[in-house]
Amino acid sequence: MAQRAGQKRKVVEVPRPEEDSGVDEELDNVVLNGALSDDGESEDEFSTEDGDGDVDGDEDELDDDEIDSDEIPSSEDEDDIRGQMEKLKTNGRPKTPPEKLMGSDTGHDINTFSPETPMKPLEVEGKKRRTFTRIDVDANGEPRYIYDEIEPNYDSDDSDFLVPTNTIGDIPLTYYDEYPHIGYDINGRRIARPAKGEALDSLLDSIDIPEGWTGLTDPNTGKPMQLTGADLEILKKLTRNEAPGEGYDPYPDMVEYFTGKGMEMTMPLSAAPEPKRRFVPSMHEHKRVMKMVKAIKEGRIKPYSKPTEADREREEAEQDFASFDIWANEIPRPDHPMNIPAPKLPPPGYEESYHPPPEYLPDKQEREAWEQQDEEDRERYAKLVKEKFERCLDLYLAPRVRRSKLNIDPESLLPKLPDPNELRPFPSVCATIYKGHEGRIRSLSIESYGKYVATGGDDGTVRVWEIVSGKQLWRIRLSSSEAVNQVSWQPSRETCIIAACCGEQVHFIVPQGEICNPEQDRRSREVLDSGFGYAASNATKTAAGVDKPSSANWLRPSQTLQDKGVLLTITLRSSPKTLAWHRRGDYFSTVSPSTTSTSTAVAVHTLSKHQTQYPFRRLKGLAQTVCFHPSKPLFFVATRQSIRIYDLQQQRLEKQLQPGAQWISAISLHPLGSNLLVSSYDKRLLWHDLDLGATPYKTLRYHSKAIRSVQFHPSLPLFADASDDGTLQVFHGNVMGDSLDNATVVPLKVLRGHKVVKNLGVLDVEWHPREAWCVSAGADGVARLWT
Amino acid sequence: METSTTTAKVKIHLTTRSEDIQLPVETGPILVPTELRRYQLSTLVNTLLETVQPVPLEFLVNGQFLRTSLDEYLTQNGISAETTLNVEYVKALIPPLHVASYEHDDWVSAVDVLSNSARAAQTSRSDDLIPERILSGSYDGTIRIWNMSSEVVATGAAHTAAIKAAKFLSPTQVVSAGIDRTLRLWKYDDAAVGSASTLTATLELYGHKSSIDNIAVHSPSSRILSASSDHTVGVWSTRKNDAPAAPESLLPIANKRRKLSNTTQRPQRGPLSLLSGHQSQVSDVCFDEKDATVAYSTSWDHTVKTWDLTTSACVDTRTTAQSLFSILHLPETGLLATGTSARHISLIDPRASATVISAMTLRGHTNAVVSLAQDPNSNHQIVSGSHDGTCRVWDLRSVKQGNAEKTGESVYVIERDSAKGRKRPEAGDGVKVFGVCWDKDVGIVSGGEDKQVQINKGSQ
Repeated sequence: MAQRAGQKRKVVEVPRPEEDSGVDEELDNVVLNGALSDDGESEDEFSTEDGDGDVDGDEDELDDDEIDSDEIPSSEDEDDIRGQMEKLKTNGRPKTPPEKLMGSDTGHDINTFSPETPMKPLEVEGKKRRTFTRIDVDANGEPRYIYDEIEPNYDSDDSDFLVPTNTIGDIPLTYYDEYPHIGYDINGRRIARPAKGEALDSLLDSIDIPEGWTGLTDPNTGKPMQLTGADLEILKKLTRNEAPGEGYDPYPDMVEYFTGKGMEMTMPLSAAPEPKRRFVPSMHEHKRVMKMVKAIKEGRIKPYSKPTEADREREEAEQDFASFDIWANEIPRPDHPMNIPAPKLPPPGYEESYHPPPEYLPDKQEREAWEQQDEEDRERYAKLVKEKFERCLDLYLAPRVRRSKLNIDPESLLPKLPDPNELRPFPSVCATIYKGHEGRIRSLSIESYGKYVATGGDDGTVRVWEIVSGKQLWRIRLSSSEAVNQVSWQPSRETCIIAACCGEQVHFIVPQGEICNPEQDRRSREVLDSGFGYAASNATKTAAGVDKPSSANWLRPSQTLQDKGVLLTITLRSSPKTLAWHRRGDYFSTVSPSTTSTSTAVAVHTLSKHQTQYPFRRLKGLAQTVCFHPSKPLFFVATRQSIRIYDLQQQRLEKQLQPGAQWISAISLHPLGSNLLVSSYDKRLLWHDLDLGATPYKTLRYHSKAIRSVQFHPSLPLFADASDDGTLQVFHGNVMGDSLDNATVVPLKVLRGHKVVKNLGVLDVEWHPREAWCVSAGADGVARLWT
Repeated sequence: METSTTTAKVKIHLTTRSEDIQLPVETGPILVPTELRRYQLSTLVNTLLETVQPVPLEFLVNGQFLRTSLDEYLTQNGISAETTLNVEYVKALIPPLHVASYEHDDWVSAVDVLSNSARAAQTSRSDDLIPERILSGSYDGTIRIWNMSSEVVATGAAHTAAIKAAKFLSPTQVVSAGIDRTLRLWKYDDAAVGSASTLTATLELYGHKSSIDNIAVHSPSSRILSASSDHTVGVWSTRKNDAPAAPESLLPIANKRRKLSNTTQRPQRGPLSLLSGHQSQVSDVCFDEKDATVAYSTSWDHTVKTWDLTTSACVDTRTTAQSLFSILHLPETGLLATGTSARHISLIDPRASATVISAMTLRGHTNAVVSLAQDPNSNHQIVSGSHDGTCRVWDLRSVKQGNAEKTGESVYVIERDSAKGRKRPEAGDGVKVFGVCWDKDVGIVSGGEDKQVQINKGSQ
């Protein structure tokens, strides 16, 4: 390796290594030697490094022999070499000396010493290359034709000059690890493995780094790769993305061989022959020309001639505006459409009306001085620009009329609602859950003392619960198939009677189980029994007076039911859905909306006489619910869309309310009797002030589903409604004693807890008589107490 | 300098209201490191007290139990470490742990305890050891007496409807009342082991027109007070001879189908007096702990009435904002603890001189508070049973001054064992507590909607 490096260096210095020719003989021997023992030739020694180039040939050979033993590369060395080679292989680029590519003037030298040079010591064909072919003697003493090496320069046709001279092809160099050579050249000669530097060798290398030393090995030759200054320059340029060589033009002018002017026919776009029209003159052009010729002949087209003075005058005269004063001799005439009077002259402007006193006018001298001044320097009104600007600003920014903007917080326009916390007490949480009913609870009622709750539901039972503890104290099954539509305690405090509508019957129940004390029990029985005597004594009279058969049967139920507490049963023609007590507990009214005849939809019953009356011969609309006025003899009947108020004493219609609801579900009268709440299935809750008129005073739409029930609190300013969306809503509704103030309605609380079952939520709601507690009955089979 | 920054110190002044753990010498302010916690402070005080057996102590700083270190307390409350803290130490209340549950057939409405330390046992003339017994009244109309190994010792079934209240009068006498409007006195023979104990009805007291919701007993004067839904408070004598005859109209109707065959054999008596004045049903009644001629009653009409029993007159009426369900007289402070429907306990000052009606409010329950009992060991601790399914133990010394009222927080919450650690149901559904009682020996006994009597005791 070192030897090659040395050679190269030397070669660079001395362009031609002709000196070697003198030692041909010797070298020939060496060739043989090398052929047999392969490696001898290449291993060199430091002596070459030291010695001058001129003697190196001899010394090479001598040293070869001496160092034979050293040449067997140690495994480490091999590895090194292999590593280096592989590195170079991957690098790729350095394979080819750049000079060749560039065609620099050093090309020749490099050709001689580049990859091919390793052969030189073996054969020294440097000189012979000049000759054509010569005959040599091979190892067997037979003639051998040695051909001139083809010099791959620009003159040669050989485009493969870049192919490495190692002809082993694309196989790994490791295949040659066992051999002293690394391949074969074009002539079949072995390419000797380059010398492997020893420690001292490399040390010396490092001490005296030859010019162009790279430390790399050419993978093709296995020799050290050296770069000359020119190479380095080229590499540097390449790394900078510059043109590699001096005077190299990366963008030469295009040589137009086939295109461009005059070459059209060389490369025609189509092989079609030129049409005839390209060669004959145009007929249409000829026609036009002939027309012009004819016009010239006829004198229609005249050649251009310079306009004369007379022409110019005439032209000017034509351009002058001819004006006629039509009002010159104007005579004032009366107005007439056909007469246009002379327009009035505009009034004099500034110019005409500016008559300053003479002392303000410039005198002659001043005027002259002013006129002599330069236009720029003439004195003007100093604040002119500023004032003009301000005036423009005024016109632009200052509106003629000042618009007063109302700055009102929209919140302040809302009515002041009191804070719900100030309106306590009202129910806010669920305190008790009454569980036991199977199926929906349709109705509930709270005892007048507020101690027990009675509920009736789809399972046909009426149950009595302790209000706070939620303990079911008593129950009775009225029917196994029909639901209990309505339960209602009789309002009297002396008695303890529950009226329950089940199917077509109304049952009057005195609950057992120590719910009422013996005195109440006795009185209740008296009340319920008293009618039997009355009915018996007046039976004949009724039958005689009216031929109409009794439509309601007041009967004692079966003994088993009597034992259970059911003491009286009324059977109506159609099933009553609602039942409303008069406040004294003697009268009550039932509504059977599903009846066929509207006349029997509403019935008023007298408990003490066991009497049933149908007050309406014909009722307009389908009756929904009824209620009695708390103090006056008024009777409220709600049909689907309207509410009628009847005076029971005078037996006439007192008033009719039009809440505007599609289907009224329940009504509730304020304990003072002047306000009515109407709930409707179309999600609306309507507040009627009976003093105000037929239309609702307030409409509350807070529910997302039908409202089933609504009730005023008997003593507190509260009301609550129950809806199918599973919620109850509690409102504060304060009614003033005098009719001057309107009632205030404040939403207080949404009570959630009931589950919605089959689109039914809360079916009934009732207030505790004293406390701000309410009990709700749900379609989910539970009732809840809210406190 | 460095030491002071690493261990900040604060001056504390230790006081107590309990006589038995009073410091022997007045120590004055003590400088203690702020990192001390309850346990270290407890050890410190125990060493000062030179107690043989260390007493676990709790520390009240400005009405709050110390649950963190002193340092954290000071930071949380923004108190400078340079102020002298007044620290009150009290005997720690051991957390009441579940001991046992006694299964019933129906909801348990009332519980009472008989033990050596119970009040009913104080009247016993004999010095015999009284076995611990638990009395329970149930909605199925029977009263039961249990021993401590969860066995029913005796059953009394004479009521015709649910029982709402039951109490031991003495080790041999029991009184019960319920929805059937009667009070019944029972003779209880606690037999020796092996033979059956008996519970025999001895007296029926008629007079109320509606269900009796609560009773209070005072055995020395042999008086019973009953709170009834008919808006009256009944005063009764336990002695047959003292009581007037029963009003005829209220006796059970003879012509009823269901024959009450055995009722006629028992003597029937009427009330000594019926105190009327409440506008709504009377929910609870109690004797003044110091003066048995004074009684207090609460009603759904939002009032607490003070009654002079000798003249049967209403002395004083205090009106609150909500229905009251239970009452307890606290002899130490003279206050009345009342459980309300508004989910709290308010301490009402019944004295005429009082300027504020509600001295303090204990908040924490989520449903009506229907039963109250006092800690037999302390004058400052009470237990409350509520419809939310919990019993809560309160320490009245733990006070927080709110903007308008003093409020307190519960020390311990006793859940129902039957709930088995599940989330508390809405509105206490299924686990409502109806009665609670606190005995020194037995612990906290409570009965409720889960048909169980539950015993909780702080294990020493």
